[in-house]
Amino acid sequence: MIFELNGKNVSFEAIPSLTLLDLLRNEFGLTSVKKGCDQGECGACTVLLDGMPVNSCLILSPQVEGKRVTTIDGLSENPLMIELRDAFMENGAVQCGFCTPGMLLSSYSLLRDNRNPTEEEVKMAIEGNICRCTGYVKIIEAVLDAAVRIGPD
Amino acid sequence: MKPLTGFNLVRPRTLQGALTLMATLEKTQPIAGGTDLIPLYREVQCEKTNLIDLSLINELNGITESLNCIVIGSTTTHTQILSNNLVAKHVSALHDSCSVLGSVQIRNRGTIGGNICNASPAADTAPPLLVHNAEVNISNQNNNRWIPLEELFKGPKLTVLQPDELLLKIKIPIDSDSASAFKRLGRRKGFTLSIVNAAAFVKREEGLIQNIRLSIGSVAPTPLRIKKVEEEFLGIEMSKRVLDEIGQACSDQVKPIDDIRGTAEYRRDMSNILIKRALNEAWRRTGGIIE
Amino acid sequence: MKINLKTFVLPFQYNVDKSLEYYKILEKLLNRNEYFVVGKNLIRSDALDKCLGKANFTADYLSKESLIVKVFRSCKSHAIIKNIETSRAMNIPGIEAIITARDIPGINQIGYALPDQPLLNDTKVHYIGDPIALICAQNEEAAQKAEESILIEYEELKSVFDISAALNPDSPLIHTDGNVAVTTKIRKGNIEKGFKNSNVIIEDTYWSPYQEHMCLETDGAYAFPDGTNKITVICESQSPHLVREKVAAILGWKLNQVRIIQALTGGAFGKKDDTGPILAAYAALSAKTLGKPSACIYDRIEMFKTTPKRFPAKFIYKSGADKNGNLTAIQVYITLECGAYANRAPFWLWRQTAHAAGPYEVDNVAVDGRAVYTNNVYGGSFRGFGNLALHFAVEQQIDKLAYELCMDPLDFRLKNVLKVGSRTTCDQILDHSVGIEKCLKSIEDASKWKEKRVPIKNGNTLKGWGIGCAYHGNSTSRSTPDWSAASLLMNIDGSFIYRTGICELGQGSPFGHVKIVAEILGANIESIKIEIPDTDSTPDSKPTHGSRGLMMGGTAAADAAIQLREKIIKIAAEMLDCSLKLVECKESYAYNKENLNKKIPFNEIAEELHIRGLNPGAYGFYASPKRNYDEETGLGINYSVYTFASTIAEVEVDTETGEISVLKIWPSMDVGKAIDPIIIEGQIHGALSQGIGFTLMENVQLHNGNILNPSFKDYIVPSAFDTPEVDDPILIEEAYKHSAFGVKGVGEPSIISIVPAIVNAIYHATGIRFNTLPITAERMHKALKEVKK
Repeated sequence: MIFELNGKNVSFEAIPSLTLLDLLRNEFGLTSVKKGCDQGECGACTVLLDGMPVNSCLILSPQVEGKRVTTIDGLSENPLMIELRDAFMENGAVQCGFCTPGMLLSSYSLLRDNRNPTEEEVKMAIEGNICRCTGYVKIIEAVLDAAVRIGPD
Repeated sequence: MKPLTGFNLVRPRTLQGALTLMATLEKTQPIAGGTDLIPLYREVQCEKTNLIDLSLINELNGITESLNCIVIGSTTTHTQILSNNLVAKHVSALHDSCSVLGSVQIRNRGTIGGNICNASPAADTAPPLLVHNAEVNISNQNNNRWIPLEELFKGPKLTVLQPDELLLKIKIPIDSDSASAFKRLGRRKGFTLSIVNAAAFVKREEGLIQNIRLSIGSVAPTPLRIKKVEEEFLGIEMSKRVLDEIGQACSDQVKPIDDIRGTAEYRRDMSNILIKRALNEAWRRTGGIIE
Repeated sequence: MKINLKTFVLPFQYNVDKSLEYYKILEKLLNRNEYFVVGKNLIRSDALDKCLGKANFTADYLSKESLIVKVFRSCKSHAIIKNIETSRAMNIPGIEAIITARDIPGINQIGYALPDQPLLNDTKVHYIGDPIALICAQNEEAAQKAEESILIEYEELKSVFDISAALNPDSPLIHTDGNVAVTTKIRKGNIEKGFKNSNVIIEDTYWSPYQEHMCLETDGAYAFPDGTNKITVICESQSPHLVREKVAAILGWKLNQVRIIQALTGGAFGKKDDTGPILAAYAALSAKTLGKPSACIYDRIEMFKTTPKRFPAKFIYKSGADKNGNLTAIQVYITLECGAYANRAPFWLWRQTAHAAGPYEVDNVAVDGRAVYTNNVYGGSFRGFGNLALHFAVEQQIDKLAYELCMDPLDFRLKNVLKVGSRTTCDQILDHSVGIEKCLKSIEDASKWKEKRVPIKNGNTLKGWGIGCAYHGNSTSRSTPDWSAASLLMNIDGSFIYRTGICELGQGSPFGHVKIVAEILGANIESIKIEIPDTDSTPDSKPTHGSRGLMMGGTAAADAAIQLREKIIKIAAEMLDCSLKLVECKESYAYNKENLNKKIPFNEIAEELHIRGLNPGAYGFYASPKRNYDEETGLGINYSVYTFASTIAEVEVDTETGEISVLKIWPSMDVGKAIDPIIIEGQIHGALSQGIGFTLMENVQLHNGNILNPSFKDYIVPSAFDTPEVDDPILIEEAYKHSAFGVKGVGEPSIISIVPAIVNAIYHATGIRFNTLPITAERMHKALKEVKK
């Protein structure tokens, strides 16, 4: 079975009981994808599936066949992600870091589609990403700041 | 939590293939987004289930307009519905519900067919579909039938679907002079299950209620249509007092229970408030004002 | 004043000369108009790895070969174990061992304050989830099957699920010495006289329930053999040295046979203080028994159901004030619910007892506390450590007195708050670093409090404003000795390794240490690497709790830095050919203040240091000034220093649904010295969010000892949409004279003051008081309905 992982085609043995989360962590060593609840409730395992944020703990690995999976590792050189990352770091949006990869991916997806989001739209984009450290204040500020940095186009 | 084991996953590419599998395999369970099923299987280990993944079947996905109806394929995600202009224009209650259901991640995977077939009394898409008189298309290998959505629900987590049947699509009649709205109440403001949810559909003729349909979720074993109240207020002139009467009448019709999300008493009281808020919003969307 | 470096050693010893003000000495030593990094916002050194997904947490270290350690637990809340039958489970393919109490080579005891908690139970179980056996399996499926195949023969005992039942004389005993685990007492002044002089007296009872931490990372530990007589454990904790001590005792080994490496930790909030040693011991037992790498990683539900929560507590308060608005007397009865084990209850209860008057001066105080066992899940460390529950009660008492006296609640507080020279609940005279008055005045202005004294009704909403204050003694209490340590090593290339046992839990404390070190050395902050705590090389800094990480650990860091600075300056002076006092270091260069052209990079100094055979390392140590405590009266110098906070909240209540929205918050805190304002703001924001959760939604639902909602799905914590607008936190700097730069702990006070601020704002908006939490929409709705009747 083949799918695209961070821009490269990869193959794996299809095991239905293996979730995408466990596949990425255990078979591909992508430990940036975090397991916080395994129930689709916390968002720490967020990855982009064909560009859209999903909970990788709710996806059975054969379901990604032929699809495009992106983790934070695949966007380290992405200009938008670099701006977003810098905004997170400079605005103090990172504390324990466990929600951070998922939070960045959800925020990235928002800014990719909407260069000028309102505060409400930012909250909507990250409502599925629970953070217990920051109270979200600086995360929201960071996403809005990143939007300013990247400008309208 | 239980390890995810004990099931087989089959991924048919055609509807016919899926229906054949449904007819021939033992203990089948359709799956699409998996947002309800996977957490369930982590709590209750599934024994030798054949999961039939519907997500590769193109004809089950998408939103089309046909014969003055909007037809939504069962594997259409909440995100797809949310970004659809037809739905936003003609089925605003459904648009409302898809904007608050789950989180972005859940909306990107969860499907309308799954939300309905999971048959949770609290399913957020159910009240909007019920007030829009939605029908669902059900099929097995040999037969294809349309039934009103209302008849699909049998109880909490129970539907009339036979073991070999699939829900293929949902049909919503377009009624351009109408408006609808959805309201709900959760235990926090974002990403949460509804304690109570409600939808109202209304047609207005000057100040008169020309048509009204009301539905409340999480207040009975299935999402409820409140027909008794609808009939009672048909043709009545809308006012603040009438709105209050409708709310009160609805709360008399519900049969909620206590659970960890809320008590029966609170649900009854909130039925009143939420149906009023939904109706008020729907009325406003028709261009009316309630004084 | 001529600075003699020797004097800097003094503050770190016991019996310090109190006239020495360490933070001022540091100021003079550095003699800078403006600090290089202290007080400035920098990007924390761990942020980039965390953003890149390169930061490693416990589960990220696991090898594929690692065995799974699954805990077999009691399904009974109170029962005698008659027999444990594991043979069927042992025969399941993939099962390598089933470890029970009798397989423990050392001491089967993990209790923190009292020896009441076996690591694995073999005689009795005390709550649903009590551990009995460890299943060591090759895969999850086998572990699951084994769990279903272990048979326990129980003799069920009557269970006790609340404190009043536990205190009933006929109650069954949960532990042999009775159901009261510990008591506390304070007697100050004359309580009868105090109430006689009161014109108003408020009496009420409050109940503060369980709260789950909901750290985003679940608990985990990964242990592997290191040769034949040593085990390494990678885990999260709040004190790797405590973990080592517990694991060694359980394995029956010496401390140097156990190596604990502290992984980055995905939120702790007190939880990992308690779970760290337990999971490490589980994994280590398997690794030792089988000689194979073994991992114990809890799933979310197991973590929720079985690990410690915020201790619940009941407070019966009687508070008096005279007609001029002066507090006259308070009498308090505290009953803490331990749950199944005492764990930290003695310390938790004492903290509540010692803070019982709140941040106010009250001459006549009587407090009686007791901690009581039940068969519910046990309590443990959690941000605020007793003070959150206490202030929920005391701050409502204060509010009620103010309203009773027709005084503005803020003015009433201002009149009574602790000031320099005031005496605390424990009769401790506060001679400096008392910023609560400034906190209050600053948010009074920022929020335009005086214009907000009338609640606003708008359609079906009511808006109101409330205030809450808090004080929180830093670190340990009573006369418990308290110290911290750190080490600093200058490498031959001029870079540094900094070691502290203070753990990075998200709060950023170790980065604060590094800023202190960089400031003192004049080194580039990037040149100092923080080593993750490793008990083989990291000094014991004592735990990362009690808001002590920066206050204690950071001051130990300063001690190390001062020692190394002395050597660097000495060498630099010779290399620059100038006097010691003319040498200044900046950005990892040493230069002559009077001749800026000549500067020497730190790598050359480092090389010279090594060549001359000077020790390139420094071990920093800091001990709190001596405190005292009278067991009879409970009076004495309790805590070295207190952090103060006050918070104003604006809330809106939907009178139809009962939904409560916190719209805006104005926080303030006396932090001593803000080493990194943005990190402090982050602490305040996070604490506010957890406090909002505790006040409005977080609800551990228990039925006969069973937790009904053990997941994110039904245990509701704030989402992004529940985030209020937060005004820029106002940081007051009333320096603490015995810490580096005057720093005080900031992790906890915000969560303490937000809770009463919201509760008092709800009262202001609706006229309704709530004596228990959480105030869910449903409870608010019910209360509004009752008022209408």
